[in-house]
Amino acid sequence: MSFLELDGLVKAYGALTVVKGVDLAVDRGTLVCLLGPSGCGKTTTLRLIAGFANASGGEVRVGGEVVSSASRNVPPEDRNMSMIFQSYALWPHMTVFQNVAYGLKLRRLPATEIKERVGRILESTHLGPLAGRYPSELSGGQQQRVSLARALVVEPQILLLDEPLSNLDANLREEMRFEIRRLHDQFRYTTVYVTHDQSEAMTTADLIVVMNAGRIEQCGTPEDIYERPETEFVARFIGGTNILKGRSDGSDTVVCADGVVLRCGSGRVSPGGETAVSIRHHDIRIGTTPPAGDGSNQASGVVERQIYLGSHRDYLVKLSGGERVRAVAPVNVAIPVGQQVWLHFPPEHCRALTH
Amino acid sequence: MTDAVLMPERVRRIDVSVPVFVLLALGLGVLVILPLFWLVWYSVHEDAGGFTLGNFVQLVTDDTMLRAYGIAIAMAAGVGVLSCLLATPLAWLVARTDLPGRRAIRALVTASFVTPPFLGAIAWELLAAPNSGIINVLYRTLFGLPRSDSLFNIYTFPGLVFVIGCFTYPFVFTLVANAFDRVPGDLEDASAILGGRAATTLWRVTLPLVLPSMLAGTLIAVLQALTMFGSPAILALPAGFHVITTKIWSLFQFPPQLGLAAAAAMPLLVITVLLLRGQKAILGRRGYTVLGGKSGAPRIVALGAWRWPAFAFALFVLCLTVIFPYLALLKTALVPNAGDALTPSTITLSHFHFVLFDFSATRLALYNTFVLGFLSATTVAVVAMIVAYIATRKLVRGAGILGMLATAPVAIPGIVLGVGLFLSYANPTFQLYGTIWILLIAFVTIELPAGYQQISSAFHGVHPELEEASRILGASRLKTLWLITSPMLRTSVVAAWCFVFVGTIRELSATILLTTANTKLVSVIIYDLNESGDMGAICVLGLILLVVSFLVVFAVNRMPVLGGGGSVSTTRG
Repeated sequence: MSFLELDGLVKAYGALTVVKGVDLAVDRGTLVCLLGPSGCGKTTTLRLIAGFANASGGEVRVGGEVVSSASRNVPPEDRNMSMIFQSYALWPHMTVFQNVAYGLKLRRLPATEIKERVGRILESTHLGPLAGRYPSELSGGQQQRVSLARALVVEPQILLLDEPLSNLDANLREEMRFEIRRLHDQFRYTTVYVTHDQSEAMTTADLIVVMNAGRIEQCGTPEDIYERPETEFVARFIGGTNILKGRSDGSDTVVCADGVVLRCGSGRVSPGGETAVSIRHHDIRIGTTPPAGDGSNQASGVVERQIYLGSHRDYLVKLSGGERVRAVAPVNVAIPVGQQVWLHFPPEHCRALTH
Repeated sequence: MTDAVLMPERVRRIDVSVPVFVLLALGLGVLVILPLFWLVWYSVHEDAGGFTLGNFVQLVTDDTMLRAYGIAIAMAAGVGVLSCLLATPLAWLVARTDLPGRRAIRALVTASFVTPPFLGAIAWELLAAPNSGIINVLYRTLFGLPRSDSLFNIYTFPGLVFVIGCFTYPFVFTLVANAFDRVPGDLEDASAILGGRAATTLWRVTLPLVLPSMLAGTLIAVLQALTMFGSPAILALPAGFHVITTKIWSLFQFPPQLGLAAAAAMPLLVITVLLLRGQKAILGRRGYTVLGGKSGAPRIVALGAWRWPAFAFALFVLCLTVIFPYLALLKTALVPNAGDALTPSTITLSHFHFVLFDFSATRLALYNTFVLGFLSATTVAVVAMIVAYIATRKLVRGAGILGMLATAPVAIPGIVLGVGLFLSYANPTFQLYGTIWILLIAFVTIELPAGYQQISSAFHGVHPELEEASRILGASRLKTLWLITSPMLRTSVVAAWCFVFVGTIRELSATILLTTANTKLVSVIIYDLNESGDMGAICVLGLILLVVSFLVVFAVNRMPVLGGGGSVSTTRG
């Protein structure tokens, strides 16, 4: 049995249902990312787990015990969880030490014990010398670290993070991603992390849960999600991709409207039905001569746009059928705008998606 | 860390937010609705208990009642116009010109806010009573005129309008001055670049932009004048006419006509609600008022040759509203008899001695006043805080009702509330009449809206995540309120406390109906002593009230959160 379980969780505000039956099982000690665009219900799900919102249906169970359901809501203070907020929520009238010691004081630990534990966590988060400062005297990254320390020091059963890095600038954000992962490896708390940033999720998570419109689209390891997306939404949202639509003949081959035939190395086709094929930008080969082979998994088109990005070139190619495909090529493949090109879609990188 | 000793279970407590909500809703409901209920009940019932519309019939047929309403409305309108005429030019001068000493002038105008209106009326009695008034005495001495001549007679309708206007114009001034502050310079620059000259720009651009604030402020001044008891009681009664508040009060004198008093209070309640709605509608049109943005600092107009005439105007207004009245109070407090000249040989502290040591009634009144001020301010601050918390955080379904209940009393004039409270609590069930508790209820009800508005806007400034962070770490709602929220609101709460305190110790309108010999307050003693003509003692008491009020306001303005020179927002007098 998993440690944290969401079972058919529903949250409605009046007529508007924002979480539409979410099922999820999180094992003890894993870090799960809820990933999705804004408004997909991920933050609401997190607030349901924390107990800040009451569930309209379904259950949240921790260690087998129901903490949220339509009829029962254990208040947040009795859940033995910790949370890191988007705004950090550091109390401006307390020093770093007092902020971090707060949860321990509530647990009535003796003063010497508090001092020792706070000291240790401040060391872990590299905040030792700043213990006497007030939050307003800290930089954004330091505030973020205090917020982490405050949440970790109480040794929560479950740690919740609500878009913790969205207020940091790009450089710091990348650094803090690794920091969060490092602290997780050190302390191994069961963690639920909400973000809309896929690279943040990739860096930190053991398990990524992609959410869309109040439902879970797919749940898996970062490799699963990236390499084996199951839906068009997941393929597009994680990493970006080209989607070509067509009909399958029941085998692994999909025939697109403009006559392009794609053999798919993975995924599922819906026999006789409409099937989408996802192929990532950098998996497409681009060339000025037709590739060898039987004519499948290739298409010709005209370069509409070419951007030099230093490490690679980004092409937008208009196929003869009118569809546009983005492809990434090494810098030495330089083809001017307007020229006819051939694209090759290697079958092992073509993934069939049923919806 | 993972191998550390087991974290002890947090101490569990029951979440009491729902019971607290229910209790508060009931308490506030009783506080607001009970007086209004009895007001309506008495107005439509005979003494014997049968239903009647006789009180209302009498209200619209009795000439004295109609006259009282007519005079009150005329007076309020006059006060509105006068306030506007005094305040608008002054506000423009201090906000948008290089007037000398404009900061000090602003602070002094705020000072007339603190002056209890009844004290202002007494000060003007000292200055301009037809016989003994200092100005009239000086006038006669200068021109060698007989005793029957006088320059001003304050016991007249214009005198009354003038005196009330002197102490209500700050309502207009504050709103208009703030509006002038907010008119961005580039709007005026836009007019100038299109060829508008300074005067044209002022007339066509700037003034229309502050017009809503001017109207809103004027409505408040009108409302203040209409519901004021002290000043009319001091000035109109000797002049031989009633306004509606004094008329209602007279219905409480023997033989009491409570039903008629209740009926007479109803139109006042309706007018108040309408005026407040009007004010809200005017200020609520946000598209019209100028709001922040990056529009740059307001432009300062150079007055040039007009600098000193403008300064003279400002000084003149201040003399009438602050300097002369205060000097008159001070002088009278220090001489044996009100008519004596102040010289080194006549100066005496006997009035101070009398008030502070000899006269037991004043000592009791001072004690009562400050105890009540303290209790009211504390109660309002605590209740407002809890209500604001529940309402802004929407803890319970229907929490908005609490906020509405807490703001509702703003529409109940003091004298109307006095009548309602008398009818509610001066009966065998409660037996609160003659105790300080009925006064405490009155003051809490009167001051709750101002306290609530101040504290609730402070609550809106505290990010909810700050509270959630505390809860997820194991603190209950109340504990979070105590450990996290209240320390962050401390300055706002202290400020609200101080304003309620200042507002309470100057209250007279409701107090006059609810006080008895054992529960006299300073404001009532001042009123009583005025009837017996003991001006020296009055001035001492008045000065004590003023000094305490100023100390409190000064302390508040020193607090960083409010910013120095911030305006005082006390309600009614």
